[in-house]
Amino acid sequence: MIWSDPSTMTPEIMTWDLPSLVVILPLLAAVAAFLLPSAAVGIGLGATALVGAASSALAARLLASGPEISHLGGWTVPLGIALRVDGFAALMLVTTAGIGMLVGLAASRSFAAKGATEAPAEERQRLFFWPLWLLLLAGLNALYLSSDVFNIYISLEILGLSAVGLAVLSGKAAALRAGLTYLFAGLLGSLLFLLGVDYLYAATGRVDLASLGAIDEMTPALSMALVLMLAGLAIKTALFPLHFWLPAAHSNATAPASALLSALVVKGSLYVALRLWVDVFAPTAGLGTLIGLLGAGAIVWGSIQAMRVDRLKLLVAYSTVAQIGLICLVFALTDEIGGETAWQGAVYLILAHAAAKSAMFLAVGRIAEHLGHDSLERLHREPLRPGMAQVAFALAAVSLIGLPPSAGFLGKWLLLEGAMRADAWLWVGVMVLGTMLSVAYLMRPISGFLRFDRVEGPVIMPSRLDAADLWPLGLAVVAIAMGLLAATPLSLLAVGSPFVVPEVVP
Amino acid sequence: MLLWLVFDLVLIGAIVWLAWAALAARDGFEMIVLFMVLGLFVALAWVRLQAPDVALAEAAVGSGITGALLLKTWRHRRGRAAGDAAADARPSRALGFGVMGLVTVLTGMLAAVLVLIPRPAPSLAETVFANLAVSGVDNPVTAVLLNFRAYDTLLEVVVLFAVVVVVWLLGDAEADRRAPRLGSIFFGFARLVLPVMVLIAGYLLWLGGFAPGGAFQAGAVLGAVGIVLLLGRLYTPTAADRLPARLVFGLGTVGFAGAGLATLALGNAFLGYPPEAAKTWILVIEAMLTVSIAATLAGLFFGAAPSGRPTRESDR
Repeated sequence: MIWSDPSTMTPEIMTWDLPSLVVILPLLAAVAAFLLPSAAVGIGLGATALVGAASSALAARLLASGPEISHLGGWTVPLGIALRVDGFAALMLVTTAGIGMLVGLAASRSFAAKGATEAPAEERQRLFFWPLWLLLLAGLNALYLSSDVFNIYISLEILGLSAVGLAVLSGKAAALRAGLTYLFAGLLGSLLFLLGVDYLYAATGRVDLASLGAIDEMTPALSMALVLMLAGLAIKTALFPLHFWLPAAHSNATAPASALLSALVVKGSLYVALRLWVDVFAPTAGLGTLIGLLGAGAIVWGSIQAMRVDRLKLLVAYSTVAQIGLICLVFALTDEIGGETAWQGAVYLILAHAAAKSAMFLAVGRIAEHLGHDSLERLHREPLRPGMAQVAFALAAVSLIGLPPSAGFLGKWLLLEGAMRADAWLWVGVMVLGTMLSVAYLMRPISGFLRFDRVEGPVIMPSRLDAADLWPLGLAVVAIAMGLLAATPLSLLAVGSPFVVPEVVP
Repeated sequence: MLLWLVFDLVLIGAIVWLAWAALAARDGFEMIVLFMVLGLFVALAWVRLQAPDVALAEAAVGSGITGALLLKTWRHRRGRAAGDAAADARPSRALGFGVMGLVTVLTGMLAAVLVLIPRPAPSLAETVFANLAVSGVDNPVTAVLLNFRAYDTLLEVVVLFAVVVVVWLLGDAEADRRAPRLGSIFFGFARLVLPVMVLIAGYLLWLGGFAPGGAFQAGAVLGAVGIVLLLGRLYTPTAADRLPARLVFGLGTVGFAGAGLATLALGNAFLGYPPEAAKTWILVIEAMLTVSIAATLAGLFFGAAPSGRPTRESDR
């Protein structure tokens, strides 16, 4: 991740309305990629790179001069809508563009044009991946910057629809079936969220987060709104036991789509939930404990399922269920003494999981491409060993388990520290248990990679380094390196942090 | 007053009964028709709640276009659903009552909390009316949708675009998408109604500036024109229409976002129109939205990227 130095930037960029641009740019590019299918790859990669550059510049600007607010249309809230950029939002913007770029590079190779031999299904994937990814990017960026609950609802719809499109990109029957369930689950989540928005507006006459955050008294209507919105977001985030749609949707999608869905899409709704929880509503102890318990349930259930399934892709998908549960433990901790540390840890776990899980799905895609299957039982018998993809998988696993010096380690450490400072030993125990379980299920494929005693015939290692292996490897390295280079992200996260007294924004 | 009370009670009764009847219907076609009638009654309820803009949208989109999409899907599935045990299977009675109980409890809680909210409920209506004079339009709903919260509307147009992209991804281009052959009465009907519908769409678009109406309602009516054209095979899209279709689908997003970039270039905030020309900006954006929404809705009805060669004259 490259952080531009603010002093080297031209003053012109320093005055641009970058928050609007990071939403509008991918939108225009999505239309362009749909309009000109033959140039879609170039448009997609170029736009993602531009959005990444704009996001980095925005992050640099934030580090230099604090949080920003753009009043759209020139109308101030509560009449208009404002885009608000704080450190958390900027961090998500940069991470999303960065991961999107690497996954996009992987996709540009796996969906490469094959000329006359191309099957209709392959052509469809090649043509539709880019508009869908760019719409997804626009939806995510809109979500990160939104400071208005109704606007968040619309952004969630863009995100949800483009995510369903990506989930069914392969066109296979299993993917279509899973995609339909995903669509229904996502719509149910959206409608619950919208119902919550209705209650908020009915009770307060406001939909902007700043006004809502200033309300101290929790009335029954506000509690109802909070519960409805969090329930809707829990479905979209696949928090146990509302994760029913995730394993099928994520494991049947094509590899780059799975990577985006698991790394970024579920984090979008989790981001909103965390923001509402910390910025807007005074945390409610009982509800926080309940979400924490669901998180603990997710860790146990997701891990047990990951230990039982026979398909590698399904294992990785269930690992997402467990990891989401781990991150959701923070809801039980924000109200305590170590709340800020736990929150930092959760944010870092979101970033770490995004990098590690996209690396893992891409690596699994490469392994399945080599072997022609992704059965766990047959891994150790296979004479063919796609070494680089396996290394990428293992490195990603290091971060998911939380071994030092990975980003996963740092996130988990901060979350643990927050729990220990709050004397919340129950949650410490859950985290330790979750770590052990993650070792257990991730060792299933890794031991398969490393066992050679049952191979029938000579072991074959692809001798030539394939460029396609670079992208999962790169993402896995990012998942490790973000643990070593944590100073800048953490100081960015402190900009406009909800845990410190907010500075007055001019 | 008493008369209105009676009317409202009958309306409420009809809505609840239609909803129940639609849910209880065994036949898909019956269910869809009941759902469309339900939409019309809900539109009436919106009129009674003094929300004519919502009523128009509910009637045009919620009942009309949605009904057409449902009927199209029903016809598409009719041939293959027979013998599909999974599709025919109904959930068990116990599950049905369980869900009903849960929904009743939840609805009761929602209603109770709603009643507890002190009246008059706070709202932004006063702020909207205070700023109406500088918004460029006289209809407060249009002022909110196209000016105060134009960014929301931009993203809503993007949602429509995303839907049509996914439909083109999934739509089976090889399937025969021609409408059933319709009799001569239909063509007489179309000849009479189509020009009027185009006129109504234009009128609704213009009306939005000062009275209930606007791009979404106008787009829905214009989209219905497209549906009638498709149904009567008066227009059969071919592969050559793909690029123009893509252009029109994207027009709403590009036009709206482009207007935003133009305002930035003028030195204003994003989507901050120059106050003296706000009406013109809004009207131009709405015109682009109307065309784009209409094409998108008709495109959704068609259900796939068009394929095949231009129709021969003898097919008509």
